Amino acid sequence: MIKVERQKELLMREPRFDDINCSLLSIPKLPHAMIKDTRIAVALARKFNDEVVRPRALELDLKLMEDPDYLPSDLVEEANRWGFFTLWEPKLFGGKGLSIPSFSSFTEELASVCVGIANLVSVHYLGMATLISTWNMRLINKLLRETVKGEKTGIPCIISMGITEPNAGSDVLEVELLNKSNTAFRAEKVKGGYVLNGMKHFISNGHHSTWFAVFAYEELKRAGDTIVVLAVKKGTKGFSLGRMERKMGQKACAASELIFEDCFVADEYVCFSPEQAKKLKLPIQKSNQQLVETLGAASRPGVGSFGTGVARGAYEEALKFASETEISGKLLINHEWAQFMLGEMYKNVILARLAYVEGNYASGLYGTYKILQMKPIYYISKYTPQIFFDIFISPFLNFSIMTWLFRKINFDWWPENFKELTTGLSAVPKIACTDLGIKNCQLAMEMMGRAGLRHDARVEKHLRDSKLLQIYEGTNEMCRLNLFKALIARSVSGVSMFEE
Amino acid sequence: MGALISNELKILHEMASDFALQELAPKWEHNDEYPFKPLYTDVLKKAYETGFFAVMMPEEQGGFNKSIKALCIVLNDICRIDASLGGTIFTNALVQELMTNAGETDLLSSLVSKASSFEDILVAFPSFDNPEDIKIKARAKKGKDNKYVLNGSTDYIALGGIAKQILIPVVIDGQDEYSLFMVSTNQPGVQCSKPVVSIGLHACPAVDMSFRDTQAVLVGKEKDGKKYFDSAADRMSVASAAMAAGVVRGSFNVALDYSKQRTQGGREIRNWSVVRMMLSSMAVNLQCADLAISSASSMVDEQESGWQLASRAVDLFVTEMACDVTSVGIQVLGGNGYMHDYSQEKGFRDARQIQALMGMVPMRKLAYIKRIIE
Repeated sequence: MIKVERQKELLMREPRFDDINCSLLSIPKLPHAMIKDTRIAVALARKFNDEVVRPRALELDLKLMEDPDYLPSDLVEEANRWGFFTLWEPKLFGGKGLSIPSFSSFTEELASVCVGIANLVSVHYLGMATLISTWNMRLINKLLRETVKGEKTGIPCIISMGITEPNAGSDVLEVELLNKSNTAFRAEKVKGGYVLNGMKHFISNGHHSTWFAVFAYEELKRAGDTIVVLAVKKGTKGFSLGRMERKMGQKACAASELIFEDCFVADEYVCFSPEQAKKLKLPIQKSNQQLVETLGAASRPGVGSFGTGVARGAYEEALKFASETEISGKLLINHEWAQFMLGEMYKNVILARLAYVEGNYASGLYGTYKILQMKPIYYISKYTPQIFFDIFISPFLNFSIMTWLFRKINFDWWPENFKELTTGLSAVPKIACTDLGIKNCQLAMEMMGRAGLRHDARVEKHLRDSKLLQIYEGTNEMCRLNLFKALIARSVSGVSMFEE
Repeated sequence: MGALISNELKILHEMASDFALQELAPKWEHNDEYPFKPLYTDVLKKAYETGFFAVMMPEEQGGFNKSIKALCIVLNDICRIDASLGGTIFTNALVQELMTNAGETDLLSSLVSKASSFEDILVAFPSFDNPEDIKIKARAKKGKDNKYVLNGSTDYIALGGIAKQILIPVVIDGQDEYSLFMVSTNQPGVQCSKPVVSIGLHACPAVDMSFRDTQAVLVGKEKDGKKYFDSAADRMSVASAAMAAGVVRGSFNVALDYSKQRTQGGREIRNWSVVRMMLSSMAVNLQCADLAISSASSMVDEQESGWQLASRAVDLFVTEMACDVTSVGIQVLGGNGYMHDYSQEKGFRDARQIQALMGMVPMRKLAYIKRIIE
């Protein structure tokens, strides 16, 4: 047998054993009740698809082609009634606390019918992830509890994330690039808060959201070193909504411009700032990089589940078509080449799902929601009455020591290799699932020929919708570079990046 | 398509390029909003007056004597800016090919010479089908007076709703093979759906049509529809490739321009080697496509040995490439490429639509290899 030390050494060789066995390492540690959570999430999504998404998706898409300024606010209200905006908010903050990986299964289901509506329903959690990436416990608690209140009152209170600008897109998620970028979104420190000036664009759900977690910069020439994240409420003086983008697909989910003109945001709504970052042991550039990487790591497997959903949707439409349509005198399903293509599509769906599931395992082991999946914490959270959190825990979250503690854990004490793994292994499903989503749409359209060109056949909409998945949350090209940086560069000497 | 252009066709190329820049470029975004906005009839009128709907006609009728090369030049130049008009020209040229193959040159000449508007000269046709592959739902019955009466329906007739005439595949009662029929749309019993919303070529409208006791004129001979279609598809395949290559050229031009203007991380994105690789991939594919089209269109016009397979292979190759490369064209622009403000997303959609011309891709691939194997 191999000695323990030698075995350790062998397993640390690339690819490292732990990197390629997230599911194996994760499963024994996971609470069994997560299965039930996932069953609930999938069943809810399927019911929502039957009652809301499938009957409305095509009609809404057409409506938005005709009138690009139309806002499907009723859909947001419907999702609010179904409780979707609090389902994955931790109970600590008043939400229902369903396990986070079940969110991916939920979004795969919705995306298999309409990615646009899937995004409209779920991008609120990108706002939540932004807040959580700052670990400002007081503001996380405040905003998420407002969402809970919005559910009770029937007036949706959802959160959008704002980072992309007209002249800064691919470079905003890399601090090194951010320092050289053309960002123009300035946060000027003034007495009692910040004054914001600039514009954000491509902000999903911007026209529906109540709160915006916005990235700004104290010094534009040193943007990467001076990140400020602020919570800005709709209606704040100096903050207005601009136009909605005319997108090729995902029309159901508005992509909005946010305009800030001398918009004052008080200190109490500053989620993260250079001043706060100075209290961490990490150098400021590292803590800022971790902030944006945590956000990317949390959101990218979700985009992977969208890609998986659309790959599945395209496959399902092709299967339906093949089962009903005669080509050259016999049902298409009985042509060998069609069976082959359907097999290929089915395989692609399975591969895509495995990729995002593995990404979620990695996040559960090494990422943001590791704590939530620890068995004692998971079960205490699950079976403790909500009122206990509301009355006895929630007030403590307002103490700055709580933010200090969570930041210590998640910034200063978080192992470097955990950051690399979550960044790298979240990029994989983002790239793989979204590429496979496009691939299946292409195969389905080729298989359906002229019939697939029609809007009423649904599959062309899948293709239009899916293309955006290769772009948002970091283009797949940037994701590949992120993956290289996180998981490949570490084992090769002499690597430099972004220096061409 | 530089290599394709010989001196005698240079004028045509300049004319098509100028037309695209002057008539299509200023309003491509608006024109693409059909059927939610009015159809660009002003452009169709000018295209008719310029002679783009008669390129395949004899010289005395303003055409280029059935030169597929001439058609390829026009389609390529037009599709760089807006492939919808390319779809219209293509469909009409396909009809002219079918009628010629059916020996109906007099009928065709009369149709072209008597035309006084684009509605007169255009003939609608289900140009996204190979009729052999699909289940034909239109049936004809021959009356005692040797006239034919149609019943049934035909899906997705390109230029339906605009053209005054349609050419459709129909099965005559008691027969298995299909025949081609010309139908005048302004007679009772012809019903036309709203324009079908499609992924691309928005301003090349398609409709579903139904027929009830509709008078129809046989084109060519009974049961010979397949023969006419296969011959037409042999010649027209390379024209479909020229359309796709035009779309790719447009996508590449926009991507290249954008890469010179856009800065990320302190560098023009054209100086990112990842972006250069993407642009290079687009340029290489485009160059190969142009050469393939040039060669194949010459083979078609010269009737060189193997021209049919060459034309079809180039079509399959270039249209598939266009679907992939226009996707890269979006990717170079990132989020902007996904928005209507740039033409990249339109190119992506149009390429997919063009790939479906004249039948399902897998069936076309099987038909291609069948000719080699058997």
